[in-house]
Amino acid sequence: MQPTRALLGMRYRKLRLTTKDVNKGFYKGTGSGAMGRHTKYGGYVIEWDKVRTYVCPDLTNFKLTPFVTNNVRKTYGQYETKLGPKDPQTYLARWKSENGLD
Amino acid sequence: MASAVRPSVGAVTRLAAPLRQQPQLVVSKIQTAPLSTTATLLKRHKYLGARDNKDHNKKRGESALRRTGTRWRLSMSDEPLPKPVPKSELPAVETDPNHGLWEFFASRTTVAATPEEDAKHGRGWAVEELRHKSWDDLHKLWWVCVKERNRIATGNWERNKSKLGFGESEADRRDREVRITMRGIKHVLTERLYAWEDAVALAKNDPEIDLSGNGPAFTPTQYLEDEPVSAFEVAKTKTASPEATEAEAPAAAAAATPDPATITPAAKPQSEARV
Repeated sequence: MQPTRALLGMRYRKLRLTTKDVNKGFYKGTGSGAMGRHTKYGGYVIEWDKVRTYVCPDLTNFKLTPFVTNNVRKTYGQYETKLGPKDPQTYLARWKSENGLD
Repeated sequence: MASAVRPSVGAVTRLAAPLRQQPQLVVSKIQTAPLSTTATLLKRHKYLGARDNKDHNKKRGESALRRTGTRWRLSMSDEPLPKPVPKSELPAVETDPNHGLWEFFASRTTVAATPEEDAKHGRGWAVEELRHKSWDDLHKLWWVCVKERNRIATGNWERNKSKLGFGESEADRRDREVRITMRGIKHVLTERLYAWEDAVALAKNDPEIDLSGNGPAFTPTQYLEDEPVSAFEVAKTKTASPEATEAEAPAAAAAATPDPATITPAAKPQSEARV
């Protein structure tokens, strides 16, 4: 067998991974989930609760941009507990301090 | 064609018949010969079943490339053909100036931002800066980032398509900062979810908190013991003096563990300066 020229040498690693590069059972996919199911007759039924919906809020008068000026240094949080912002005690204490309404 | 030049067999016999009747009395002394014998001599020998050299192609000479048209008249041959209007005389295509797809471009007049324009950006948001933002703000900022990335992708596509030249590294660097912001948003929201899940688990063992859904979820014990008042009086004080209830909230906040996370972002120095 003569391998194809693309597979020769170190260039192989630069190729895109395909299902033929790995053992069976590997599912590569495209990163997109299913939006329905297959029927036993070979058709496809779209399930609308699986179909993605994107809710873009009203952005009028919204002034934030994806960027922060370079004149401001990055800030890092100062936390007393080890868990920091993930600390459930802190979360509960703040909830109580805001009268626990929500 | 061959039959036109050569007399048919029948014609030969008809010609030969009167010759047979008349005896050849007069013999011309002048030797006669056809004007030219070349044509008949050059004629190909016809044998039985020979291929005739008639042109059977009815469309000989027709060409779409040379626009010869058909060899015969068509029913619409006399009809004047419409001529295409030159592009300069066509009316302008009307488009919606406020169409949402315009947001895919950096500006209305150009397809892609110049590298100098692309390079004008700050850094992405730090996670700590995003922690002080509300859900709505983060949701909107996410979509601002999505639109920014769409604009960058449009510029990249146009740059490749039209071979505009440099600008890829500037666009990449800009895109990276946007992705840093988006990663931060995801980080903060995940963090909040985990904190909430753990807090719910913690609240199940908290005597002050009732998660059953019947009655108030939070009943602060220490204040009920200090100052027992009836429900009527509470309602009366609330309607009479809202300052009194407002004064309770800071007291409760002070009583709780003073943690930096509990401090409202307004109290902290605002570092979210914008470009």
